[in-house]
Amino acid sequence: MKTKLLITAITAFIGSALYAADVPPVGSAAPDFSVPDANGKTQSLSEYKGKYVVLEWFNPECPFVKKHYGSDNMQKLQSEYTGKGVVWLTIDSNAPGTEGNLTPEQAQKVMASWKTKQTALLLDPESNVAKLYGAKNTPDMVVINPEGKIVYEGAIDSKASPNPADIPSSTNYVKAALDESLAGKTVSKPTTKPYGCSVKYKSS
Amino acid sequence: MVVMRMNSWLRLSIALCAVVFAHSGSGQNYQGRELVKAALLADTSAIAPGKPFTAGLLLRMAPGWHTYWKFSGDAGLPTEIKWNLPPGWKVGEIEWPIPLKTNDPGDIQTYGYQDEILLMQEITPPAKIDISPVKLSAEANWLVCEKICIPGGANLDLELPTSAIADPKNTDLFARYRRLLPQKFPDSKTANASWSRAGSDLHLKLISENLANYPTVDFYPLPQGNTVVGHPSVESRKANEITFRIPIESPDKNLSAMPGLVVFSKFPNGNDRAAWQLGAPAIPAAQATQPPRGIFTFLFFGFIGGLILNLMPCVLPVISLKIFGFVQQAGQSRQKIFRSGLAFTAGIFAWFIALALLLIALKAGGRDVTWGGFQFTNAYFVLGLSVIVLVFALNLFGVFEISLPQSMTRGLLASSERNDNFGSFFQGVFATVLATPCTAPFLGTALGFAFTQSPIVILSMFVAIAAGMSAPYFLLSAQPAWLRFLPPPGPWMVHVKQFMGFLLLATLLFLLYVLGAQRGLDGAIWASCFLLIVAIVCWMKGAFIVPTASAGKRTFALLLMLLLLLTSGVYFIGDKFQSAKIDLAASNAPGDWQPFTPERLQTERDQGHAVFVDFTAAWCLTCKFNEKSVLESAAVREAFQHHGVVKLKADWTNGDPVITKLLQQFGRPGVPLYVLYPGKSEEPIVFPELLTQRILLDKLETISTAVASQ
Repeated sequence: MKTKLLITAITAFIGSALYAADVPPVGSAAPDFSVPDANGKTQSLSEYKGKYVVLEWFNPECPFVKKHYGSDNMQKLQSEYTGKGVVWLTIDSNAPGTEGNLTPEQAQKVMASWKTKQTALLLDPESNVAKLYGAKNTPDMVVINPEGKIVYEGAIDSKASPNPADIPSSTNYVKAALDESLAGKTVSKPTTKPYGCSVKYKSS
Repeated sequence: MVVMRMNSWLRLSIALCAVVFAHSGSGQNYQGRELVKAALLADTSAIAPGKPFTAGLLLRMAPGWHTYWKFSGDAGLPTEIKWNLPPGWKVGEIEWPIPLKTNDPGDIQTYGYQDEILLMQEITPPAKIDISPVKLSAEANWLVCEKICIPGGANLDLELPTSAIADPKNTDLFARYRRLLPQKFPDSKTANASWSRAGSDLHLKLISENLANYPTVDFYPLPQGNTVVGHPSVESRKANEITFRIPIESPDKNLSAMPGLVVFSKFPNGNDRAAWQLGAPAIPAAQATQPPRGIFTFLFFGFIGGLILNLMPCVLPVISLKIFGFVQQAGQSRQKIFRSGLAFTAGIFAWFIALALLLIALKAGGRDVTWGGFQFTNAYFVLGLSVIVLVFALNLFGVFEISLPQSMTRGLLASSERNDNFGSFFQGVFATVLATPCTAPFLGTALGFAFTQSPIVILSMFVAIAAGMSAPYFLLSAQPAWLRFLPPPGPWMVHVKQFMGFLLLATLLFLLYVLGAQRGLDGAIWASCFLLIVAIVCWMKGAFIVPTASAGKRTFALLLMLLLLLTSGVYFIGDKFQSAKIDLAASNAPGDWQPFTPERLQTERDQGHAVFVDFTAAWCLTCKFNEKSVLESAAVREAFQHHGVVKLKADWTNGDPVITKLLQQFGRPGVPLYVLYPGKSEEPIVFPELLTQRILLDKLETISTAVASQ
């Protein structure tokens, strides 16, 4: 018993030392942020402490994003989980002057016409939130647990393609991560490689 | 412009996508511009039945737009080609030219192609074709990006006449892109690659004189499965040596290598760029995803292994002496017995922990670390072990007693009578040292796994083995009451002791077999001659160096013994054994197995043959078992023959450095290793150490051999 405890402790220690990369890894605390949403209301991650939070990086021009909205796949996920008390934050981190950057008015129109069901669509034209999370793709998905720890980051599903016909045959990783978490289980696939367009950062 | 009537715009764009996907022409148009022009081409004017040719998907991108490589990087998607071939036709993997590396704002790195690219695939027609011309069709899908990304696709046809006579076609185009294909990683004379893992980073060290000529050297990764890789960077660079740091962002703790390209050129993304291909990491799937619980299962097996070690013919004799010690102590105080048992246990632990630390240190120092090979590839180590085993056997037979008070061996062997704790400690150490000939062949494989793990796991593994091995004595000494199941001391002990001597002789036979494999029949015979002299010297010790003999007689006998040892050592070992060599290639490749050389492997692969390589050694019992039960079984032999697989045997009995390098490239500390190279450009398939007919036959079925039809 003692050895087991010791080895667990040592492993945990080494584990925490290993993943000191620039991207917060699964298991670490989700960095807090405050940005305005499409309605001008400031949204902070910290105000949702105690709830599951989904972050979804967004670009209405990106074919991979359109794949999931055009097929109603994303809206269904949003309404299913917000219905279960999950907070769903869609984030547009594309810099002004790049494809997919949205003004508050444009954002409201996209939400209305695409009938999106997220808690809020955040506007992050300085790409600060994307930088905090090392988000490089749209869509790029992060799931945060009520303790404020990241439990999933990566792709939305298992088939990296822009073709909506692939959705029925793919495994939705975000759904799996949320279902497992909500059932009190550990997430079996906590990290995957996200796929999609790049987040359009400002040219420096 | 974006937002107005988004809903209808969205519908339109989805409809547009559908149109693009189903488009059966060659162009991808977007907002009135042609972004990608696609065509299928062949390097031949006609299809000759049974003769492979190369087909290529040619993509021409509008200026500023790009499509992606096999690994697209932080964004994007690789181009896909789905062939729709008639039955009997075969198609190889896409041969991807070396891509360009692009950095976009926000540190987004992608690998792709600009302007134009040709993605080539080898197509093998059947031996008989009835129609002419033949129409081959393929569906290609790609993602083309500039600032935004647009998916595209096309259904394309390639129509060629059937004819026995065919001329090369599109020669310049194919030649241009063939020049841009990565080359095989060169042989060990030209370049060496070694992998190490530090925390979440992989480190790739390359040593090659060729590199010195190129200002730009880069590593393009090809992560497998769900591995998420960060951006490789050059960590250090000297004239002939370069080290890359490759961050791993997914929790693949056991990942120890990664396939990819070593790309070098005069300028970044230069047109002169060339690349070496580094193969797939040789990590069996079961090991790559070791769940935390797996470590305990693993340690449990180590414990059981250690327990079983006690029954090994080379360990049992020492152990039986220890049990006798307990039997004789039966009447003594429990405390005393417990202390002695504890000391014995400590001896076992000390040796195993020392070994573990040594191996961890060697591994950290980047040395060639192997367990079996570490010791067993050295013929003199095996010879030394033979001498120890023989001397100990003779001692058990009662040929002589080890009784010289100043001798270290007294502390090691005879101390069960002296009953001091220091002696018990060394008995523990000795039991473990003597266990080596038995541990190496059996535990070698298990420890092989451990070496691919972190130092903590290595140490834990050794501690588990030590715990298993010492458990019975520890328990017996803690609970001496259990000893009453053993009969009281008596003449039976002498008989058991003598019988144990035979077990040691059996061990000796195995060692001689290894020596024979290393140095041939001559080598084994000369070693045996020396062993005979050692036996005679032991007998002389028992017969003449006795307290009843006069001092002069004893001195004379001692001098004679030394002289015998010295002259026979110089003659049999220093001269005859030393020069006994064996032509491994000739002797160890029985039947249809061919001796392995890297050049041979290259030649066979270049000719498009599938190659199976058996990395083996005479002292490796797992290897022998696999060879007898799987590789030489009728079903497997037949399957090899049926698929036209060339069988190469890489014999590591003597620790051939060329083979050591290869083992390392596959991330292995030693043999056995089984690798199947399916075709010309496909990644090698690595089999688990414990081979089964099923695994091998299944894999053989899946390989697409152009060979079978040739």
